[in-house]
Amino acid sequence: MKKEDMVKLISAEGFEFVIDKDAAMVSQTIYNMLTSPGSFAETQHGEVTFPEISTTILEKICKYFYWHLQFASGKETEFPIEPELTLELMMAANYLHT
Amino acid sequence: MESELVRLCIEAACENRESVEKWRGQRRSLERLPSHLADAFLRRLIHRRLLFPSLLEVFKHSVEKIDLRGEKSVDAEWMAYLGAFHYLRSLNVADCHKVTSSALWPITGMTSLKELDLSRCMKVTDAGIKHIISISTLEKLYVSETGLTTNGVTLISSLKNLSLLDLGGLPVTDQALSSLQVLTELQYLDIWGSEVSNKGAAVLQKFSKLSFLNLAWTNVTKLPNLPSLKCLHMSNCTISSLLEGDGGKPPLKKLIFSGSKFENEAEALMHIETSFLSFLDVSNSSLQRFCFLPNMEALKHLDLSSSIMGDDLVEHVACIGANLRNLNLSKTRVSSAGVGILAGHLPNLEILSLSYTPIDDVAVSYFSMMPLLRAVDLSNTNVKGFIHQEGANPDLFLSLKALESLNHLERLDLEQTHVRDAALKPLSSFQELKDLSLRSAFLTDVSLHYLSSLPKLTNLSFHDAVLSNSGLNLFNPSATLKKMDLCGCWLLTEDAILSFCKKYTQTEVRHELVHVLPSNSNGSTSPSPSLLTSRTLLVNQKQGNISISPSFVDQRLKYNREELLSLQYSSLSRAIPLDRGSTLLMNQSSSMS
Repeated sequence: MKKEDMVKLISAEGFEFVIDKDAAMVSQTIYNMLTSPGSFAETQHGEVTFPEISTTILEKICKYFYWHLQFASGKETEFPIEPELTLELMMAANYLHT
Repeated sequence: MESELVRLCIEAACENRESVEKWRGQRRSLERLPSHLADAFLRRLIHRRLLFPSLLEVFKHSVEKIDLRGEKSVDAEWMAYLGAFHYLRSLNVADCHKVTSSALWPITGMTSLKELDLSRCMKVTDAGIKHIISISTLEKLYVSETGLTTNGVTLISSLKNLSLLDLGGLPVTDQALSSLQVLTELQYLDIWGSEVSNKGAAVLQKFSKLSFLNLAWTNVTKLPNLPSLKCLHMSNCTISSLLEGDGGKPPLKKLIFSGSKFENEAEALMHIETSFLSFLDVSNSSLQRFCFLPNMEALKHLDLSSSIMGDDLVEHVACIGANLRNLNLSKTRVSSAGVGILAGHLPNLEILSLSYTPIDDVAVSYFSMMPLLRAVDLSNTNVKGFIHQEGANPDLFLSLKALESLNHLERLDLEQTHVRDAALKPLSSFQELKDLSLRSAFLTDVSLHYLSSLPKLTNLSFHDAVLSNSGLNLFNPSATLKKMDLCGCWLLTEDAILSFCKKYTQTEVRHELVHVLPSNSNGSTSPSPSLLTSRTLLVNQKQGNISISPSFVDQRLKYNREELLSLQYSSLSRAIPLDRGSTLLMNQSSSMS
């Protein structure tokens, strides 16, 4: 796997999630960060830090990205969300436009 | 529009009572919720019937908009919590019958509230309005069909920021209206069914920004000129003059004169500026000559139903047909000849109703000249579905074939016509058809078979037909079929219908013998009324344990079990208002014994 096809998402606590660029781009916000023509640090290093998003939530978000890709390609499964996570996840999803 | 994951989160959070308890304690997160998320979240909780007064508390820092319309349980306790919502901009408690004047006390002096809907809260009286007038920020107030008297209406004059005021069905007198003239920001005023007369109508000129006015069911016959008026409702009035007087002509867009009487139609409508007028409803009115129509070239929506319109006058409609999208001619004297005059002049028409007119199949053959038609109502007409062609060809010409060229046809109503099976054959090629209504004792399995090939059929009503079990069994509808109404198909048996439902689980089927809802009716589809009631009962039952207001006396504490059981059958129990709570109690006590 080539490095430029991957992207690193960093949580508030500093945990790093390395995922496919395609998956990360499910988020409109990340898509804009990675594709905008300006010299965003994010565009150059393929690294995005989310000081507002905890590790648990960011992990869930990453799982959602992959689930979304699968769902879009026709694999109809449920995406389980624990009720305890709903509020934080909702806010993160709202921020990420996903 | 919230994003996909937000939607999934809200769904998961509102799954059931247990999931609510899982997040209920996360106060810091709840306080940080952006208002649009909080609003959507609360809406879902209400829809899922998981909301109860004390749960409202956790939303008091985030929610800006609450719609509790028609929620029967909303009472003083709910209002007490709502009063603490710091950022609430809009509160809708229309049709919440337990909301009384005193229940409104907690919302006194709210500082952000701009919109309040109390429509049909019958127990809100003048005393309630005294609480409301302390909310000086109010811009929109709906109090139609409440318990307000003329005095209460007069009090509203202190809400100087009002731009919308709905006083429908209240006893507003000329004097009360006159006291409201200080509300100079008013753009929308609804006083249908009031006691306002011509004298009061003269006051309306003081509202210089007025763009919407409803005077239906009043004694107003002369309406003065209102230069900003865009929309006027004067249904069921007797009209002698309209908008006569100095000042510019109002840029009218919408006029509704349904059921109105005109003393002299040419004179009454003389002062109307027609260049922006796009909506005109003169159904059931006394209009005779329609000579004003040719000036109304911008009309998109024209309702002439139950009027004197006929073939002799239809020329007036034809000459303004270029922009028409929606034309209602039902219950008029327009016949096929009239439709012939109209055809070719209605290039943009999308919706056409000709129900209860003397038209026959000749009219149907003209429809191909209205290429954008989406919905056609031909119910209760003489349409047979075929035309006898004189001469060589002995075959019958199927008139519905003319509709084949309508690429946008989504809805067709052929109820109570004379169509037989053979005439419906062209239907099988209607690619866009979503809604179809048929009702005839002549139709059989053959007709239903034609409909198997409709790819987008969503709603099918197939009434009173001679439909057999095997016919239903052979019916192979598109997966899009959501609703099928088979009422009056007397040959069908319960077993046959149930086995059909088993095969097509996505379809809701109605019949006298059974009413089967789609089997996958989870939270996302709205449950039927009967399901709702049972769920409400369940919620009420659970609520009882969590939130008990101080004034609430549990009936089980008041009476011991023996007394309760004896009450159950005594004649006295009928005198006690049997609301849901007490019925529930009875069930419980009987299950205990």
